[in-house]
Amino acid sequence: MRYDQATWTREDGDENADTYEPLLAEKRSTEVAVDESPLPDDLTRESVALPDPSEPELARHYTRLSQMNYGVESGPFPLGSCTMKYNPKFTEDVAALPGAGTHPARSAASTQGTLELRHHLQTYLARIGGMHSVTLQPPAGAAGEFTGILVAKAYHEEHGNDRNEIIVPESAHGTNFASAALAGYEVVSLPSAEDGRVDVDALEAAVSDDTAALMLTNPNTLGLFERDIEEIAEIVHGAGGLLYYDGANLNALLGRVRPGDMGFDVMHYNVHKTFATPHGGGGPGAGPVGVVEELAPYLPSPQIEERDGEYERVEPEHTIGKVHGFAGNWLVLLKTYAYIARLGDSGLTDTSAKAVLNANYLASQIDYEIPFSPFHHEFVASADRDAADVAKRMLDYGVHPPTTKWPEIVDEALMTEPTEAETQAALDQLARAFNNAADDSDEALETAPERTAAGRIDQADAARNPRLSWQALDN
Amino acid sequence: MSDTGRGSPFAPHTDAETTAMLDAIGVENQEALFDIPEDVRFDGEFGIAPRSEREIRREIQLHLDRDDDLTAFLGRGHYDHYVPSMVDHLADRSEFLSSYTQYQPEVAQGFLQALFEYQSMLVELTGLEIANCSMYDGASALGEAATLALRARSVDGTRVLIPELLADGRRAVLENYLAGTDATIERYPMADGNADREALADTLADDCAMVYAENPTVRGTIEEGLSEIGELADEHGALFCLGTDGVALSLLEKPANVGADVVVGDAALGLGASGGLGLGLFTTHEDFLRQVPGRLVGVGEDSDENRAYTLTLQTREQHIRRERATSNICTNQAWVALRAAMHAAWLGADGLVGLAEDCVTNARDLADRLDDIDGVEAPAHDRHHFREFTVRTDRSAADMREELEDEGFAVHAIDDHLLQFCVTETNAGQIDELAAAVEVVA
Amino acid sequence: MSFDVPDDRGYMESHEWASDEGGTARVGISDFAQDELGDIVFVEFPDEGAEIAHDEQLGVVESIKAVSDLYSPVSGTVTATNDELLDAPELLNDDPYGEGWLVEVDLADESGLDELLSADEYRDQIE
Repeated sequence: MRYDQATWTREDGDENADTYEPLLAEKRSTEVAVDESPLPDDLTRESVALPDPSEPELARHYTRLSQMNYGVESGPFPLGSCTMKYNPKFTEDVAALPGAGTHPARSAASTQGTLELRHHLQTYLARIGGMHSVTLQPPAGAAGEFTGILVAKAYHEEHGNDRNEIIVPESAHGTNFASAALAGYEVVSLPSAEDGRVDVDALEAAVSDDTAALMLTNPNTLGLFERDIEEIAEIVHGAGGLLYYDGANLNALLGRVRPGDMGFDVMHYNVHKTFATPHGGGGPGAGPVGVVEELAPYLPSPQIEERDGEYERVEPEHTIGKVHGFAGNWLVLLKTYAYIARLGDSGLTDTSAKAVLNANYLASQIDYEIPFSPFHHEFVASADRDAADVAKRMLDYGVHPPTTKWPEIVDEALMTEPTEAETQAALDQLARAFNNAADDSDEALETAPERTAAGRIDQADAARNPRLSWQALDN
Repeated sequence: MSDTGRGSPFAPHTDAETTAMLDAIGVENQEALFDIPEDVRFDGEFGIAPRSEREIRREIQLHLDRDDDLTAFLGRGHYDHYVPSMVDHLADRSEFLSSYTQYQPEVAQGFLQALFEYQSMLVELTGLEIANCSMYDGASALGEAATLALRARSVDGTRVLIPELLADGRRAVLENYLAGTDATIERYPMADGNADREALADTLADDCAMVYAENPTVRGTIEEGLSEIGELADEHGALFCLGTDGVALSLLEKPANVGADVVVGDAALGLGASGGLGLGLFTTHEDFLRQVPGRLVGVGEDSDENRAYTLTLQTREQHIRRERATSNICTNQAWVALRAAMHAAWLGADGLVGLAEDCVTNARDLADRLDDIDGVEAPAHDRHHFREFTVRTDRSAADMREELEDEGFAVHAIDDHLLQFCVTETNAGQIDELAAAVEVVA
Repeated sequence: MSFDVPDDRGYMESHEWASDEGGTARVGISDFAQDELGDIVFVEFPDEGAEIAHDEQLGVVESIKAVSDLYSPVSGTVTATNDELLDAPELLNDDPYGEGWLVEVDLADESGLDELLSADEYRDQIE
């Protein structure tokens, strides 16, 4: 199979030959003087210059841009740990229902229906995670991590514990380190054992009276289940620390294991990874946080609680306050609710089954070494040559490549997660892309991609000479 | 396609395919692929019944129908501006909606260009050189601005000064962003709705890292001496962070011209009332380029020496710099930024300025109407207003708010005898009805 | 792959070098370091007049995909900085021992240079 992404190129000789689709500002721009406003002149600006295309021009502009953008409906998108799966259309219609988006300052009494939906979603998520209470406020996974760590911090402070360290495995998502640091913690990095899992002895040595929490992804970023999870929980809890579950890989375990049952005290859910809300090219997401009963009094305010059939906004006793200016990314949460309702118990359990089946099937069809197993929903193959080059070549074969060069424990890593939403035929196409790239010459790899809207982009040049707006292009 | 009760409708496997795939892997069944100790396995049920699309749409509609059908005159950071249909239709194209962060720029030129255009529009509106791809909302953008101020080498001090009158959400989120630092947050007083610049001058000192002001303020008043605040901040080596929104920016003083170092806020473009889902603006000076949180799209060249777009300066970010990153943000609000850019381009400069001017005149008109009513004084502050204003009431504001709800209107009660009203083009047509209702309850 | 390790200077385990310029020292990063980092896009170093100390942070060097702290091989006062690097950080890749130097330092104590790894010792480390 071969792939040619749509491109729009002007004829050679045109002064704008180097633009695919011209920038809006290059089409038509108007400068409007602000001189007859209803405000005194000293309170207003002098003028505004903005693109000023007609609606038909705009429609064509954005349609062309969309054609130069690969989405999950364009083809397989096996970005490991990022999890790109099909986004059911009906959830978009649900979020667009009249009244779905009211103003967040509306009173509880006048929005009982919306609050009930929020409460239902809190309940669904709590059951799925084996948690006692859930907040829907964090607007993304990383914000969920930050929230969870703030909850842990508030808990320790309330109990008079002066703990200043968070332990994070070396192979964890970068957000874990950054979220813990943002909350004011020292980050203690934990090396992996030879089998790719948590080194229990190293953990034992790392925990102390300073340990506030261990952040853990399970299955980890290699797709391996942390089989020693009960012992790990015992070690962390024994030292007086809390156990944080990074929900990035919960899609591998849906209906089979719950973080709460493994001993985790606090967790976040990534709704696009686990529940198929669209990623939108970089958000909006949502990162609800679940906690065990002991931590519930620390959750952000407000929580939605039901009393005698009425839904109320309640401030938890020792709340950490707020992590979003309003009530989080509500419309994304509404899509989450609709997706969970569509799947129900049997669908959720089937999701993890098929995600793991697809990853294992794909792995069986590709000619690459996979150093760590048994993996679940994702695996990390070793490219045995520059993984970034392999990825660029895969673009030419009509698929999005996997995550590359991470985690570093695998040499030239290709971190691959096909998700449950791919057919066997699509996985075979993906496998051919892997295998063709493996057979291609070094030259073919280094000059790839050649069928995409842009050729290989010089990242060094872009970073050395940052031009971050059309105003900067003249320089 | 399976409907309900038989696995996921979005996992497309036939039984025959499942069997063939298991054979290829060399295992008996799906369960054999899970390497999970018995002890931790979950053998219970969630108790969530699968439903059909039709059932879920109906179920959710029934819930939403239980919300009272009120006309909202609410604002305070979340605004209901009309979004043209074009935005929904084009932004909903799956190549945009169902794409990921642009880690492979060669197949993501479209989204990258759209985000580059978004950044450029903010550069025009603020006059500052650097705009990022988005923050979650105005509150987290404010939090990020404060951590930037504390990191910037050119800035000393740990005090962060914020206005006494500030949306609770923004203050509370800022507190959490600073929870891991030694910074202290102090409120400076307001005079008749605007910053009390004399009081601010008294408290501003060299130990301040950042001064935050808003234009318009949370009560909708328009600041009249921002340059003075900019100069004061500059004098003491503190950053001046200005909170505003995408519509107000097109009319009010250009932030760069009043000495703003960072501009934050909620976009107020691209989405109408959406339960709090928004878009955080973040722009700053070139000097702070390497301290900027979040994603940046830049221009580079591809192998054919053509202009191409790419995420750039990623060493600032968590996936590379980990605990020393400028922020923990990863997924942001990119699709909302796309929508905001579409919305702004659809309006054009003329349309955007016109919309902003309407925000002044509509608020003025409504205030004039309300001021004629016995028992209320509008606006409560003797200032110019943008989109919203406060109203002094003889009766209890809380009681009046509740009674207005019975009359079909949602408004803010922000103090014992203060209501707040926000008017945009989406509710301006109901000003008469609102005024009549206020007359009833005043 | 073999890396250039000139004999006329001393090295740090963290891959910085210092060369004796008679009372002052020139400081930079090694060929091995620039290769490990890949395309360098940004470098940050102290201003002229700054006091720096052996093994303390000297600055930061960034490539597209990595960030690395720089540690000072010597103690003293910065007397010159290579401002060319601000516009052309690629000099660090192209000529790490020549045009890609970072700063010059007026040595607080000339014997400090003797404590650095010799070229042979450093070669052993990176092999």
